Formats: sequence, structure tokens, C-alpha cells
Amino acid sequence: MTWRRHTVVDRPLTCREVGKLLQRYLDGHTDEHATAKVAEHLEDCRRCGLEAGIYREIKAALARQATVLPETTLARLRRFGQQLATEGPPDAPAGDGDHGGPS
Amino acid sequence: VGATPDQRALSDDEAFARYVLPEVEVLLRVALSRTRNAADAEDLVQDTLLRAYRAIGRFDGSYPRAWLLTILRNAQANRVRRRRPSLLRNPDAGQRLQESRDALPSAEALVVGQAFDATVEDAVARLPTRFRHVVELVDIDGLSYQEAADALGVPVGTVMSRLHRARHRIRTRLTAAGLVPRSHK
Repeated sequence: MTWRRHTVVDRPLTCREVGKLLQRYLDGHTDEHATAKVAEHLEDCRRCGLEAGIYREIKAALARQATVLPETTLARLRRFGQQLATEGPPDAPAGDGDHGGPS
Repeated sequence: VGATPDQRALSDDEAFARYVLPEVEVLLRVALSRTRNAADAEDLVQDTLLRAYRAIGRFDGSYPRAWLLTILRNAQANRVRRRRPSLLRNPDAGQRLQESRDALPSAEALVVGQAFDATVEDAVARLPTRFRHVVELVDIDGLSYQEAADALGVPVGTVMSRLHRARHRIRTRLTAAGLVPRSHK
């Protein structure tokens, strides 16, 4: 979950320190201590709270852009994968000739 | 080789069914982001599945998604080399594929904040390719930093740096459009 532990001091964080941690915080990639310190600052600092809100909105807007997967393509690929598992590859060779092979 | 006790009990076919088949949807999502074309994405995932099938005997069962995303990246690199030799000299040339973006259906945007969403979408389209790919994989397709790093073949730190800079650029465009206040930092 946490990409890397960042040393976060025990005193309240400055706006600059929060700015450096904000993106990782929003992505859930800060450790427990840093997460608590950033959250504490965001509650108290209107300016940083606004900034966090803007980036949350950006992330939400990006998530709304997610492509709707073409169901027929997905179904074909699942079938292809299942056939590989049960019947092996089709006759035509493809890829790098790297044989692990079914047992 | 290096099989876990769990995997020793699995045949290659069973291992393929257990580790690979559940990831087909993620593979298709990433392939669509990378190719921007449904037919190319399907071919790429098929190729990835075939490669995974051939290599499953040497897979130790840990982090199947990371393993598959690496296979997909290599498969795509081979396809690009075969089809477009000139791209080798210009890593950003894939931007040309941007033109086919509208061919892909996108999720219905919520009615609220249409201008906001449209500006964000436009800002993403204008990002340099290396930034755009990270945004697409993490913020749009929902991959973790590590999974995006595997898919792109770059360190996790690079994913984070590109992602944060990309979001900052998007924020700057929203400011220019008058949709959010200027940053004080």
C-alpha cells in the first residue's frame, strides 16, 4: 500500500510540507503517521484543504474517463484464454517460441 | 524452478487458469489505453496470453498482474517494431495515435461539471505522451503505481514524478479556464 516511508515530524506540518505529500496522500501512498499529519493539516488549513479538494475533483474527472470495455471483445478474449488452458494454443505459431507447454 | 509449494500442485494449465485468466479484463483495459484501437488491443492481449501460456511453467505465482503487464509491454514493443520501424527513433511518436482517441467509447460523464470534465479531458490529450500514459494507467485505468511501472518498464519513482507533474499541468489548465482558483504555492 505505502510506496515508501517518509519521515514526517511530530509537530504540525507546514503548507509546503503538505504540498510535497499531497499527491501521495490522495493516492493512499503515505504511511499511517504521514496520513494522519496531512489530514490534520487539511482540516485546519483552508488553502491546503481547497487544493486537496481540487485534486480530488481532477482524479474523479479522470476516473470518469475510463473506457467502457467492449463486452464482445472481452468475451472473445476470455474464451481464447480458456481454450488455451484446456486445448493449448491454436496451430499458427506466434510470439517468441518460448515453450513452457501444458503438462 | 522456484515453484512455491502451492504451485507444485498445479499443472501448467491450472496455473494459467488461476493466474492469467482473472487478469484478462485488466490486460484489455491497459491494451486499449496503449493502442487506442479495439482491434489492435484485442490482438495485443491475444499475443500476451499466448506468451504467458508459453512461459507459465517458469512463473513462480507471485504478482501475476505485474508479470502479465511486463509481458504485454514486451509484446507491444515487438509489434511496434514490426509495424512502425520509424517509431524506434522517436519514443513520442505514439502521440499520433491520439487522433484515433474518439474512436473509443468513454464512460458517460456525469452531468455535473461538464466543463470541468471536458477541460480535464482536453488537458490530458495535450500532455506529453510519457505523462499521458501514466495518467491513463493510474488515474483512468486504476492501476497502482507499481503496476503502472511494470506496464511502462520504468521505476516507480518515475511513475510518481510523471503523474504528479501531469496532474499539476491539468490543474494549471483548469485555472486558465477559470474553473478553479489559482494555486497559492
